[in-house]
Formats: sequence, structure tokens, C-alpha cells
Amino acid sequence: MGKILIVDDTLFMRTLLKNILFSGGHDIVGEAGDGDEAIAKYKELKPDLVTMDVVMPKVNGIEALKGIKTFDPNAKVVMCTAVGQEQMVKLAIKTGAKGYIVKPFQAPKVLEEIKNVLGS
Amino acid sequence: MAVVPVKIEKDGKWVVSKIDIQKEGMTIAEPFSKNVPFKSVVDLEQKKNVLFITLKGEPPVVLKVASVEKVLQALKKFIIMSCSAYRLMAYFMSPAVRGGVMATNATWEKGAIAVLKTSIWFVSQNKQVSVPLSEVTGIELTKKEVTNKQADVVKIEHLEQGEVVVSYVLCPISTLQILMNFLADATKDMEMTGDELDPVSAQVGMLIYSGMDSHAIENMLSISHTELDKVYESLLELGLIEVVFVRKEVTLTPKGVRFITDSVKPPSQ
Repeated sequence: MGKILIVDDTLFMRTLLKNILFSGGHDIVGEAGDGDEAIAKYKELKPDLVTMDVVMPKVNGIEALKGIKTFDPNAKVVMCTAVGQEQMVKLAIKTGAKGYIVKPFQAPKVLEEIKNVLGS
Repeated sequence: MAVVPVKIEKDGKWVVSKIDIQKEGMTIAEPFSKNVPFKSVVDLEQKKNVLFITLKGEPPVVLKVASVEKVLQALKKFIIMSCSAYRLMAYFMSPAVRGGVMATNATWEKGAIAVLKTSIWFVSQNKQVSVPLSEVTGIELTKKEVTNKQADVVKIEHLEQGEVVVSYVLCPISTLQILMNFLADATKDMEMTGDELDPVSAQVGMLIYSGMDSHAIENMLSISHTELDKVYESLLELGLIEVVFVRKEVTLTPKGVRFITDSVKPPSQ
């Protein structure tokens, strides 16, 4: 079980992820609605894992991932996007994302992926 | 080519027999003594360790063959490669995504794809994947990066033991278009007709997809159970959901209140 920061620009997706992760026994230590806020919250809260939406206003998920990785090269970030964008997946993995989930997603699989990444 | 031990259902009972698998067909030994050309097979399904082989005819004959997985694999491979079906050589990736999580070890496999009456089969040297057409939830002609180039692929979404699985088929665009048309025709009953969903219904749908129960949906969307029931009714009408079970919400009767109150009283001395 881990301390998780949820980053998504829509309240609906944050609430959904919060419910799923909470049901898996995880502790949701914070939420952020854009990339800038994500980097700031990461530095403040030092979570065990971040779920990061890719497409967000202002600073997007990839830029936020880079910012977090610069601050903490061991950060565990699972990227989350609405469409299977190959370029984004490659870029995110190259930048250091530990996992990738595609919306819409199913709770048991998300929990399995989070568990794998936390254990890695 | 090979004689394999099987059990075949006859009049509701499983009868021990043998099947001689040849290139063009199979011969079932006694007490069946039947020669089955693979070309006469129009459908193939597998449920656990039983193959349901449907043969052309009026009415069609269904052979139920049980055996160990190794035998069934050999049998399936021969049937799929020679049966009466739309078949093409292609690369496939299955599963590429399961339950919304990308399979990081997914690779393209070279093999054959056969579209039968009730299912699609992917067959490669090491893998046999069956997708029942009734479980297909979406098909799309799209692009995917293959060896650093954008290639045309058919994306097939389907349910597998309650999980949404995404698979991809890669082959020349002209063949993909034929496959796409074939699949579109085979799954046309699932096309949505009429209006789009309103935002709340769409959110309810997304939450159901993610595995949330009614109580969680009410809390997350801050809606009452009567509002949720209305959404359910519209989704039911569109054929997008089905009722799994009906849960009762109850309150205690005066008798119940008395019983509970009494039950927590300390025992009398």
C-alpha cells in the first residue's frame, strides 16, 4: 500500500481514481489539476507514486513527469491517457514513466498495475 | 498424420474414442466411424477443455470433443487453417491492453486470422486466441506505430472474463479493409442508434465500466438512488447494461428495534 498523488485536470477522473485506489488500501495524499501543481505537490508531499494524466492545460503530463524526475530520479509515475497515443507512450517511458494506463480503465487492473509499480 | 485420444459426446454421454488427424480432415474412430473434412467445419468454439465443432448441414451438426490441451491445440490449428471461414495471414498483438493497462511485453506475432460464424481466431506458432463475436465491444481501423512507422491496423476490443481486452491486427490495408467490413457486418447488432448519452448517463457508464457499484456511483456523482435508477432505466432501454442483481434497502420494524435494543442489554443477574 502506498501514498499516492493523483494528477488529472478533471474532477470526475480524480474522484474515480481516488475511489479505486482507496478501495485498494492506498492512501491518497494529494490531488493536482495541472502539471505545475503536480510538481509542487510532489515536492511537498513526496508520495510513493503519482498517477499522471497526459493531456492537461498549461503544463502537460509529460512536462510534469520531466519536472518530477529532475527533482527525484527514483519517482514512480504511472501515466494515464484517454487514447492509445503511441508517441506519448514512447516519450513517457523514455522520460521515466513506470507504467501506462488507458482510459477507460477497470479497477482491478489499475490496482494490479499500481501494485506492480510500487513493488518494482 | 497423428492419432489422438479424445472423448466425444453422444446422446448426453462422453464416449472414449480416437481421432486420426490428417491434413485435409479427421477420421473419428469407432463407435462414430465418421470422416470429417475440415472444409465442412463452419464454426469452432472452445469452452474449457471441450471443442464445439460445427459442421455444415441442415440443421448443422455440432461435435463436442474433449481432450487434453495439447491435443485440442493440434486439432484447433488444423481446423482453423482449413475450415470454411474468412482467413488471412497477418500479424496480431493480443492482448495489447487489458482492463486499461498496457501490456508492456506485448509483441507482434505472425500467424493466421480466421473469422468464423461466432468467433475470430488468432493462430500463431505459440498462441491460439479466440474472441467470440458476441464479446466484441468495438472495432476500429486506426494507425499504430510499428518499427518507427505509422501503420494501418484494425483494433479489436472485446470482453474476456469481464475484462476489456484490446488486440491489434496488422496486414496490408486492402486486406484490413475487408476484415474491417467483415467484422462490422458480424457485429452490426451492437451499433448505437439514436441520440448520444447525456453527460450524467455517460459518467454513470464510465463508472460502471470501472467497476463501481450503485452506492459508489451515487456518492461519486452526488445523485439520489431515484436519479440513478432513471439513468439505469435509460441505459437498459438502449441495451447498454443488464441487471446483475437487485439489492434491498431496508429499515428496522418496531419489533426489530426492540430485538436489537434487547440484544445489547447486559445479561440479567
